[in-house]
Amino acid sequence: MTTDQGLVPTRRRRRTPVDWIREGGLSTLLFALPLIVIFGVFSWLPIGRALIMSFQETNLVVTSWVGLDNFRSVLADPNLPTALRNTGYFALLALLFGYPIPLVGAVLMSEVRRMKGVYSVLAYLPVVVPPVVAVLLWKFLYDPRPEGVFNQILGWVGLGPMPWLQSATWAMPSLVIEATWAAAGGTVIIYLAALLGVPPELYDAAEVDGASIWRKVWHVTLPQLRGVLLITFILQIIGTAQVFLEPYLFTGGGPANATLTILLLIYRYAFGQSLGADYGEATALSLLLAIFLAVMSLVYFRLTRAWSSS
Amino acid sequence: MRSLTKPTTAVLAASAVAIGLLSACSGASPEAPETSPDDTTSTTDEATSDTPQDVTLRVVSLLPGSDQAAFDAFDERVTQFEALYPHIDVEAEEYEWKATTFAAQLAGGTLPDVYEIPFTDAKTLIENGQLADVDAQFHDLPYSGDFNEALLEAGKGPDGHVYAIPAKSIYGVALHYNRALFDAAGLDPDDPPTTWAEVRSAAKQIKDATGVAGYAQMAADNTGGWQLTSATYTRGGRTQVAEADGTYTATLTNPGTKAALEFLKALRWEDDSLYADATLNWGTVNEKFAAGQIGMYTSGSDVYTALAESFGVTPDSSGLKVADYGLTAIPNEGTDSGVLVGGTLAAVNIRADDAVKDAAIKWIDFFYLQPHLDEGPAVENAQVRFDNGQPVGTPVLPIFSREQYETSLGWIEQFINVPLENMTGYTDVMFDQPVVGEPSASTQEIYALLDVPVQAVMTDQNADIDALLEQAQTQAQSLLDEG
Amino acid sequence: MTTTQTSTMQTTTAAPAGAARPLARRRAAAMDTLRGVLSIADWRRRSVRTGMGFVHVLLLLVLVVIGLGPILLLGKFAITPTQDILRAPLEVFPNGIAWDNLHKAWFDVQISRYFLNTVLIAAGAWASQIFVAATGGYVLSVLRPRYAKALQWMVLATLFVPGVVLLVPLYLTILNPPILGTSLLNTFWAVWLPAGASAFNVVLMARFFDNLPREIFEAARVDGAGPFRLFWSVVLPMSKPILGVVSVFAVIASWKDFLWPLLVLTKPDLQPLSVRLPSLQATTDLGVLMAALAISTLIPILFFLVFQRMFLRGAGLGGAIKG
Repeated sequence: MTTDQGLVPTRRRRRTPVDWIREGGLSTLLFALPLIVIFGVFSWLPIGRALIMSFQETNLVVTSWVGLDNFRSVLADPNLPTALRNTGYFALLALLFGYPIPLVGAVLMSEVRRMKGVYSVLAYLPVVVPPVVAVLLWKFLYDPRPEGVFNQILGWVGLGPMPWLQSATWAMPSLVIEATWAAAGGTVIIYLAALLGVPPELYDAAEVDGASIWRKVWHVTLPQLRGVLLITFILQIIGTAQVFLEPYLFTGGGPANATLTILLLIYRYAFGQSLGADYGEATALSLLLAIFLAVMSLVYFRLTRAWSSS
Repeated sequence: MRSLTKPTTAVLAASAVAIGLLSACSGASPEAPETSPDDTTSTTDEATSDTPQDVTLRVVSLLPGSDQAAFDAFDERVTQFEALYPHIDVEAEEYEWKATTFAAQLAGGTLPDVYEIPFTDAKTLIENGQLADVDAQFHDLPYSGDFNEALLEAGKGPDGHVYAIPAKSIYGVALHYNRALFDAAGLDPDDPPTTWAEVRSAAKQIKDATGVAGYAQMAADNTGGWQLTSATYTRGGRTQVAEADGTYTATLTNPGTKAALEFLKALRWEDDSLYADATLNWGTVNEKFAAGQIGMYTSGSDVYTALAESFGVTPDSSGLKVADYGLTAIPNEGTDSGVLVGGTLAAVNIRADDAVKDAAIKWIDFFYLQPHLDEGPAVENAQVRFDNGQPVGTPVLPIFSREQYETSLGWIEQFINVPLENMTGYTDVMFDQPVVGEPSASTQEIYALLDVPVQAVMTDQNADIDALLEQAQTQAQSLLDEG
Repeated sequence: MTTTQTSTMQTTTAAPAGAARPLARRRAAAMDTLRGVLSIADWRRRSVRTGMGFVHVLLLLVLVVIGLGPILLLGKFAITPTQDILRAPLEVFPNGIAWDNLHKAWFDVQISRYFLNTVLIAAGAWASQIFVAATGGYVLSVLRPRYAKALQWMVLATLFVPGVVLLVPLYLTILNPPILGTSLLNTFWAVWLPAGASAFNVVLMARFFDNLPREIFEAARVDGAGPFRLFWSVVLPMSKPILGVVSVFAVIASWKDFLWPLLVLTKPDLQPLSVRLPSLQATTDLGVLMAALAISTLIPILFFLVFQRMFLRGAGLGGAIKG
C-alpha cells in the first residue's frame, strides 16, 4: 500500500499514531522539519511580527501600542512623496535601459556562429563582480572633476564634464547606468537560454510562408519569448522597487534626497537615527510597499493571463 | 482525503499566525533590564568587595583602518593598564561613531562596556535608559570635583547622577588649512584668513593658482548640519532657542544660516573653489584633505590627531605632510557670534554589572583622564604615543581647568611632535573665543535635516535657499514639538 | 497566478530533459547547427553574412569595452600610485607601477581575512539552502504527506513578500531567537540560517522532483527502500542538474549580499568583503583601496571563468521559462 497518494482505505477504522509512524509519517516529518523550522523562524514568524510591529511604537527599550499612528505618520512624512517619486523614476529608467537592450543583445548573440561562449562570458562578467566593488569603482569613475574617468571620455567626443552624482538631476540616471551594467548580463543569459528553446520548425514554417528576417523575429521569436518577457518584466519592477545598495553606497540618498528610495527610507526609520530608532514606522512602510507590490503583481498577472498562451 | 486536508490547512495556517503573534508579543517586550534613571534603589551603592573578581572589560580602541602603529600604541597602553589591575582583562574593538550605525549597535547590544558618544547624544540615551548609572563609582574618583562643570553637565541625568564622563576631544570648531597649497598659491601660510571674506578670496586664489579646491564642506551623515550650525554660530545666528517653559523653538531661518549657505553657494557656483562632493562626511573630508585635495575646511580643532592616526598624514606622505598642516581660528563675525564646542563622553553599557562598572571607571580614569592630572601617567602616555609615532600634544579644550591643561602640556613638552608652531592661529585665541554649545534638543535629527539644504546648495545652481530653510524650519519645529 | 507560473515551469522544465534527444536528432538531420532566426538559406546571402558579421563585430567590441572595460580599469588602478589615479587616471603608468598597493591591501588592510569570511559565509549559506530546499522539495513532491499542500502554499506565499518586510523583524529575531536564548548577532549563523528560507529554491527543487519518473521510486520501494534510502540513493543522484542550478544561485546571492550582513555582523573581524570595504573607504589610501577591490573581484571572476558552463546554464534557468 503506497502512502504518498491518498487512496480509499480498505478498512474504515481511525488511524492511530502507531499507524502514522508505520506509514512513515515520522520520517516524513523529519524530512519536513528543516523546511518548517527554517521557514517558520526566519520567514513566517518575522512576517507575523512585522504585522504586529507596524501597530506598535518601539525602540527596543519602550514598546507601546499605537494603532494606525505609524501608518499615518509614514503617509504624512514629507520624504515619502520624494521616495516614491525617486523609486518610480529609478524603476522607469531601469526598465528603459535594462529591458530592451538585453533582448536585442540576446537575439544578436543567438545568431553568432563562432566563439559563442566568448560573448556570453563577456556579457555575464559584470554580474559576477561583487556589487560593492562595482559601486565603489563606479563612484570613482563618476568623479565630477574634469580628470574624472567618464568626464575625460566625454571630453574625447567633445562633451563637457558632467556632475554625475553631484547633481540632483543626474544622480539617479548615474545610479541606473551602473545598476544596468551590473545586471543586464543576467537578463541576456536568461533570454539567450529561452531563445535556444524556440523550436526551429516554427522558423522553417515561417520561411515557407516567405517571411523576411524581421518578420520572423516579430512573429516567431517574440511570441515564443512571451512568457519569459512577461516574467522578467514584473520581476524587474519588483526588484527595482526595492533598490537599496546603489543609493546607499553611491550617495546616501543625496544630493538633497534626490536618490532617496523607499527602501532607503525604511532603513533610515529603523537604523538611520542615532537614537530612538523607529521600528514601527519602518515595518509600516515595508508592509505598505509589500501590499502595493502584491496588488500590482495580481493585476499584472490577471492582465497578462489574457494574452498568455497557457 | 480532501475533507481532511482542508481543516489541516486551516489549522496549520492558524497556528503559524498564532505562533507569529505569540512570539511577536513576547519578543516585543523590552530587551534591556528594567533599571531606569530614577531608580535610586539601584544596586550601584553596594560596597565594592576587597578582593576584586576577575572581569573582562570590552572597550573601544580606534577608528577602523587606523595605522598599525596607532593600534600598537593603544595595545601598549592596554598592557600598562592590565599590569596595574591584574584582575581586569581588556578586550578592545575598533569603533567609529556614525549616526547611522550607532542605533543598530545600540539595539543589537553589540556596543562594548565602555564606549564613546558625542555630547549631543548623552541626554537622549540617558532618558531612554540606555546608559549605566556610574555616579557612585564616579564620586570615588579623588578629582571628581575638579571637572569643568559645563562639560560634566552634558553627561548627567535629570536626577543629577553622572552617566557619562567627559573623556576626550573637547573641541571648538576651527579652520584647517594646507600650508603647502597656500605657498603654491602665493598666500602667506603664517597669515591665514581671519574673516569669511578672506576665506573666500584665499579659496579662489588657491583654485586659480593650483587647480585644487580651495575650500570644502561636509554635507552628509549629519555632518552637513553640524558644520552649518557651526557656521551659523560664527555669523551670530542660532538654530534653536530654549523657551522659558522648557520647550524649544527652531530658528533655522535666521540670517546667520542663510549667510552661511550663500557663502557656500558663492564659492561653488561663482568662484568654483568648493570641493564639489556632496557626499563628504567627517571621515571622507579628512581623507581628501590628507590627500592634498583641499585647501581649507572647518572641523573640530583636534582633528589633527585623527589625520595622523588614521588618515595617513606623516612627515613624508605623498599628500599632506605633517609640516604642511595649519590650524587657525574659525572666523567670527558679528555680535553674538561664537564657536561651536562639543566633545566626546565615555559611557558605560547599561548591561554592565557592578564589577564591570568598577573596571570601566578604572579604565576611563587610566586611559582618558589620568594623563591630564598626574605627571607620571601623562609622561607614560606621551612616551608610548611618541615611541609609536603617534601625535602628542594636539590642542584640545580642557576637561578640568585651563591651568591644569597647561600644566599637563608642560609635563609632556619633550614628547610633543605636532606642529604647534603652525597652529598658533588657533592656540593663541582658543581660551578667549566665545563658546556656544551644540543645540540641546533633537540635535542629531536636526543636523540630518540640515544636510539637505547644504547638499542642495552644493549641487543645484538655482537652489532656493529661503525655500530650503523654510522647509527645514517646519520639519525641525515639528520634531521639537513632538520630542 | 501561482498556478499559471508553476504550470508553465512544470511543463517546460520537462522539455529540456525529455525533448533534448529528439531535438538534437532533428537538428542534426537538418544539418543546421543551432539555427535561430536565420536559416541556412539566409546565411548564404552575402548581404546577410556581411551585415550580421559587422553587427557581431560591433557587438563584440561593445561587450569588450562595456563588460570588460571597467574591470580592466580596476586592475590598472590597483597597481597605480594614488596621486596618479587622482590626477591622470587614464594615462598608462606615468610614474611607474605601485606593486606596493597589492602588498598593503593583502597585509595591512587584511583583505585575506575578509575574503575568508566571505567564503565561509557563502559556504554556510549554500549548505543551508541546499539542505532546506532538497529536503523540503522531497517532502512536497515525493513524500506528499497530508499537510504538503498547506506547506506548499505557505512557502509560495513568501515568494510574494518583498524582502524589505522581513528586514526589521528578522533583525529582532536574530537578537532574540526563540528557544536559543542567546543573540545570534555577530555570528555567522545569523546569515546562514535565514538564507535557507528561500521559497524560490524549494519550488525549483519540488518542480524538478515532480518530473522525475515515478516508476523508479516504485521500483526502489518494492526493493524495500525507506524514505531515507530513497532520498539519498535514488532522488539525489538524479538531481545533479537542479542541485547545480540552486548552488550557483546560492553562491552568487551570498556573494552579493550586502544589507543583511551589514546589519548582523558589526564586528569587523567577521565582516565579509561586501560590508568591510565601504567602511574602509575613508581611511585607506585610494591606490590600496583599488587594490583591495581588485583582489576581491579576482576570485569570483576566476571562479566564474572556470565553472562557466554551470554558471551560464544555471543563470539561464535551463530555459525553464517560456511563452
